[in-house]
Amino acid sequence: MLHFLNHIWLQLKETGWVFTIELKRIFRDPGVMVIFILATLAYPFLYKAIYWREQITDIPIAVVDLSRSQESREFLHRWNAAPDIKLAYTCASMGEAEQLLRDQKVHGIIYFPHDYAAQLADPLGQAHISLYCDMSSFLYMKGIYLSCNQVMLESMRNIQIDRYEQMGMDQEFAWALVQDAPYSETALFTPTGGYGSFLIPAVLVLILHQTLLFGICMLGGTAREENKQLFRIPGRRRGWSALRIVLGRAAAYFVIYYALAAILMIALPRLFNLPHIGAVGDLLRFIVPYLLATIFFSMCVSVFIRNRESGLVLLISSSLIFLFMAGISWPKEMIPEAWRYLSYAIPYTAGANGFIHISSMGASLWTTRMEYDTLWMLTGVYFILACCLLFIIGWLHERTEHQQSHAHN
Amino acid sequence: MQREVHQMFARPLYMFASVGVMLLSTFFFLTLMRRGSAEKMPIAFVDLDQTSISRRLCHEMQATPSVDICLITSSYPEAREAMQQGHVYGIFVIPDGFYDDLVAFKRPKMDFYVTNAYTVGGNTAYKQMLTMVNLTSGAFQREVLRKKGLPDDVIMHRIQPLTIEGHMIANPWGNYSVYLVSTILPGILGLICIMLTIFAIGYELKMRTSREWLRTAGGNYTVAMIGKLIPYTIIYLVLGIGCHLILYRFAGFPVYGSHSRLLFGLLLFIMAMEAMGIFLIGCLPTLRDAISIGALYSMLGFSLSGFTYPVMNMLPPVQALSYLEPLRHYYLIYVNEALMCAPTINSLAPALSLCAFMLLSLAIAPRLHKALIYQNYPLK
Repeated sequence: MLHFLNHIWLQLKETGWVFTIELKRIFRDPGVMVIFILATLAYPFLYKAIYWREQITDIPIAVVDLSRSQESREFLHRWNAAPDIKLAYTCASMGEAEQLLRDQKVHGIIYFPHDYAAQLADPLGQAHISLYCDMSSFLYMKGIYLSCNQVMLESMRNIQIDRYEQMGMDQEFAWALVQDAPYSETALFTPTGGYGSFLIPAVLVLILHQTLLFGICMLGGTAREENKQLFRIPGRRRGWSALRIVLGRAAAYFVIYYALAAILMIALPRLFNLPHIGAVGDLLRFIVPYLLATIFFSMCVSVFIRNRESGLVLLISSSLIFLFMAGISWPKEMIPEAWRYLSYAIPYTAGANGFIHISSMGASLWTTRMEYDTLWMLTGVYFILACCLLFIIGWLHERTEHQQSHAHN
Repeated sequence: MQREVHQMFARPLYMFASVGVMLLSTFFFLTLMRRGSAEKMPIAFVDLDQTSISRRLCHEMQATPSVDICLITSSYPEAREAMQQGHVYGIFVIPDGFYDDLVAFKRPKMDFYVTNAYTVGGNTAYKQMLTMVNLTSGAFQREVLRKKGLPDDVIMHRIQPLTIEGHMIANPWGNYSVYLVSTILPGILGLICIMLTIFAIGYELKMRTSREWLRTAGGNYTVAMIGKLIPYTIIYLVLGIGCHLILYRFAGFPVYGSHSRLLFGLLLFIMAMEAMGIFLIGCLPTLRDAISIGALYSMLGFSLSGFTYPVMNMLPPVQALSYLEPLRHYYLIYVNEALMCAPTINSLAPALSLCAFMLLSLAIAPRLHKALIYQNYPLK
């Protein structure tokens, strides 16, 4: 029994030794520190600065009003009150307005035909408005369409009431008929509905994922270059030592990143006034499997990186691919099956969705258990894989050394 | 140059990081957004009324292309939990006693909820539910007017006296893929350009082979640099043209202006990214530093180019920053050429800005030249 305890104690000591060595390597390497600390802390602020304004406001619009009527002016007046747009130019013809659009001075055109007022006045008439949208950014379209639609519905109700009154209905009844089934719309969880409060949470999680990936690949590549043997504890045979090395190194990253993740996933949403309705305790627990899965995933990838810098060169584009694959900016229902299954293998997918569910949408850890369990599963899989890969490399290395010593003899 | 071609093929990294990554990204983004607009977004239907009319509403909503009712329930908390789990993007609630109130003109209220945590899904669900409530209201008015004995065509004009015809310029299908992929793929090509340029030059410094490199070029810095970059530029250009053909020929993305001017813009963009690479390795002649900074710098290009979130809406200092990203200028050329079919003169300013990046690489030349000769920068 004593012997067994002694054995465990020795293993723990060795794990601790790997942990200390790894911490030293991280803190003595300015390149890794730039990625781990500087990039992780500076990037959120840069993104917040870029997406500072939540709403797209004052999209410039050109007006082509051929009807020149009281009704069209009223419509424009009402629309201009919407914060989304501003009526920047009044043009005499469509040609003139198209020119403005081509020069990107306006991002939309509203067109009232000659007969606009006449059609409205005619109890059987139907009036048309044409709306042209610049599609160079979808947010223009969203702002222009939705706000114009709102004004259209409102104007339409007034016209309807007028017409029903003309038919001889009493005002009360006409009003009840037009408003027969009113509705209320509520944007849940993110009341501003802004672009920043949607994108930045996903980006925060991505920053943690990618800096870990790049940093660990950098450390792995450097060790390869310097021919340091990450896969061996001096005086120990390979084999079960892979386990201790993987654990020891992971512990070093985990300690640093737990603090960083707490800042990015808990403190910054509050500082930036992003949606943060999740329970802090749930988030603190959610971070654990997310970081572990990412660390072991990165350790598996880093095995294939031979140079310090090549990891960054090869993997930089992966940031965009991971972001889109996770189904946040492009709905997951629209992603082809194959990519969707592949995306579950990347810790970011479950991490980002889980974080958004908890932090932005106030889900409990139990509600978001699918992502939470997925992350623990990934942690297990990548941990075993990382140990196996390390074991294989150690074995390959020993074999070449063996062959070399044979060749010398 | 010959030496460079040798090196290029000797190290699999170069080919893999350029051709491999580009192929993978093109394949990924085109298949990812194969269906360009969001369809059949899952929503929950909370039916507290349980009458024929609420069931009919449910059926009619299910028949629309944009939404898919994947949960019919009579419990709002259940629907809300489904939303928190990311299963649905919207919740439509029919209140208790809806049918009775409707026929009694008591104006029952329908509620709908959307999530903005997932913007595309939430928006699509929102638009469809908004249309639905207005249609419901219209359908009821039609029934009432029919009972009053009015003919159908008269009723239609009563219900819908005003319409808006929407025209989406240059992307009439509202295709998400067209607007996203057209900028992301060149952006990734730019990433490859800047990273590999830094790597190719920085590696000479790191391996202390820069003197040999200069010697091969007869000691001439300009010859050495051009010789080194030509093979890469050719590869990038081939990749760029390949990508252009795939997007605008096979995938059928629209180009209303001139293909050649758009491609010329792409060439300028590639060269500007290479020049930025030279500039960065010239400022920081240590491979590991330059490559980290290069990565941080170029990733920001995607946000700052303004193809998702318009630059005009950013804070003024950030707007100024956006001019420091070549991708921003390429995006402007793309909008002018492909979407707006604008006169060439409109693309001139961004094209000249891209040329200005090339001047940056000349400005740093003396410093980089010295670094190549004296190799006086630390390896780490």
